[in-house]
Amino acid sequence: MSRFHLTWDKGVGLFLVFTILLGTFSSEYFATTSNLTFIIRDVAEIAIIALAMAYLIIAGEIDLSVASMLSLSSATIGFLYRAEIPFEMALIGGLVAGLLAGLFNGFLVTVLGLPSLAVTIATLALYRGMCWILLGNKPVNQLPQEWVNLGYSQIPGTFLPWTVIPVVILSAAAWFILHGTRFGRWVFAIGVNAQAAEFSGIPVKRVKLALFGFTGLMSGVAGVIYTLRFASASPDGAVGYELGVIAAVLFGGVSIAGGIGTLWGVIAAVLSLGVIRSALQLIDFSANALLVVSGSLLLISVIAPQVTDYVRSQRIKASTTKRIKTKEGVQQ
Amino acid sequence: MNLPGQLMRARELPVFAALVIVMGLTSVAVPHFFSAKVAVDLFLGVSVIALLAIAQTFVIVMRHIDLSVGSTVGFAAFLIGDSYSKGFGLEVSMLLAIGLGVTVGAVNGFLVAYLKLPSLVVTLASLYIVRGIFNEFASGETIIESEVPPVVNWLGLNRLFGVPYLFIIGLVVLLIAGLVMKRVKAARDLYAIGSNPAAAELAGIPVARRVLFAFMSTGALTGLAGALLLGRFNSANPNSGLGLELLVVAACVVGGVTIAGGAGSVFGAFFGALLLQGITLSIGALGIPQFWQQAVNGSLIIGAIALDRYLSTRVKTTTIMGSK
Repeated sequence: MSRFHLTWDKGVGLFLVFTILLGTFSSEYFATTSNLTFIIRDVAEIAIIALAMAYLIIAGEIDLSVASMLSLSSATIGFLYRAEIPFEMALIGGLVAGLLAGLFNGFLVTVLGLPSLAVTIATLALYRGMCWILLGNKPVNQLPQEWVNLGYSQIPGTFLPWTVIPVVILSAAAWFILHGTRFGRWVFAIGVNAQAAEFSGIPVKRVKLALFGFTGLMSGVAGVIYTLRFASASPDGAVGYELGVIAAVLFGGVSIAGGIGTLWGVIAAVLSLGVIRSALQLIDFSANALLVVSGSLLLISVIAPQVTDYVRSQRIKASTTKRIKTKEGVQQ
Repeated sequence: MNLPGQLMRARELPVFAALVIVMGLTSVAVPHFFSAKVAVDLFLGVSVIALLAIAQTFVIVMRHIDLSVGSTVGFAAFLIGDSYSKGFGLEVSMLLAIGLGVTVGAVNGFLVAYLKLPSLVVTLASLYIVRGIFNEFASGETIIESEVPPVVNWLGLNRLFGVPYLFIIGLVVLLIAGLVMKRVKAARDLYAIGSNPAAAELAGIPVARRVLFAFMSTGALTGLAGALLLGRFNSANPNSGLGLELLVVAACVVGGVTIAGGAGSVFGAFFGALLLQGITLSIGALGIPQFWQQAVNGSLIIGAIALDRYLSTRVKTTTIMGSK
């Protein structure tokens, strides 16, 4: 008999449906195409970084420097473009900057063996500082018009913003790699027990290095989108995004202890937080409520597994006692 | 007792030496750098972070972390001004602020100690929740100078023998906390918990109670730091204390309080905060553009972690919270 098991990530999926319904009922403007465009555009950067962060946390590491890497990618684009390098090349430069920053984090963690939490607090400051060094306090605003339009406009004939394309492609690829390939299994194995993974022949350090590089690259992609969306490269962009990304990943059912999580849970979490934000804005609720809601959801996401574990253990205990009792009955 | 030997092995020594070297080199390069004004800038600028770093040490040595301090310290600063301007006395206002800190600490501590939830997640959540409640409470208002209790205002502006009172408060707390962490058994238990939680439990240490109490102490000092924050700027607004948590953790890490738990002292955390602030001042005095400051700080933290790793001889596997 196969029963539907309500796991946390499915719960988040249901929660997403619930928030959409709630939004639709609470405001007539919610389900309009312009609002949906707004929501998708609003969550794009967090969604893309969250994909990579999910891998990293599942593998038992963390990266607090993602917002700084996003900004570093944006600042690199601005710096190169100001130095009269073609904008297309500048965009590639931004991606490379993100990748290198991520690999440097990975180098410090895997080669020098430093704890990622402390290392990435340091590189959070370092990469942000490099943004200031690159741009000074002068943001670059005169970006090529056709690229900036891309950041604003929609795919012709639909209400979907252009950013939906990288988000969907990257999500699909990240989902397939994590849940459908050997590399994905390695990531989970490392998160459950890095030492056991090492002994069973998994190249733990190389996988972790790749994941840090991947996180940097995704932050770079988010930096490109961010630059186009705001038509500006400034040294102080996206400050504090890292906590939003981590909150979304954890709310999506990824365990901070590593080894547990699904990508659809993370994607549902990012979307539902975006939907809640939009719904609260539409019904004129104060933005402060969003802070409280995000925090509470985060708490619930760690408390809930404990509660279900407890209930399950009680149920198992109850059924075992029953079985023992029946056995005793038979013997008598 | 072998004092020189003890000094050589002290974890605080590298960071203290770095502080002396940085200040020394700067004063060689910039003749008028070493002056009373710079000392006052250093002491005044560091007082809030130093106090918070002392408080953070309690949780980091247990291999935990408290990210909610930035929100709580801002709320506490605002609360003192707000309740004072509504006619409560200074004592009541201070008690409210410290009470706020203890309450946040108690909730964090309960969730971490008794429900066994990861402190990183719990305090990230309370960072959001406290900031949200704070902003709702403040509803866009700002505490202006006339609403700051005169005593707090006076402490923020005046000095004793040239040393700002805010820094003296920090020093007093440092000495008390240092003594407690060195001599009181319950405080020593925090190191045992951080070194090996399971072993601490087996050794009969009431781990949950200690964890709860440590988080509450952190909260209490955070409430007190709110008064310092208010006195320092003579104002508070809904963005007060925003993002301070990472600076505070950075100060601890630079000061040799290992993220992996079980090692480091409040003195180290205090010197770590001083070093970060001292470098900021040196950069300004040397005429290096201020844009370099964050990058230098970041490199410094990496250097501190790497040095700590190099100095600890045991080979361990690493997790996000450090070595297992």
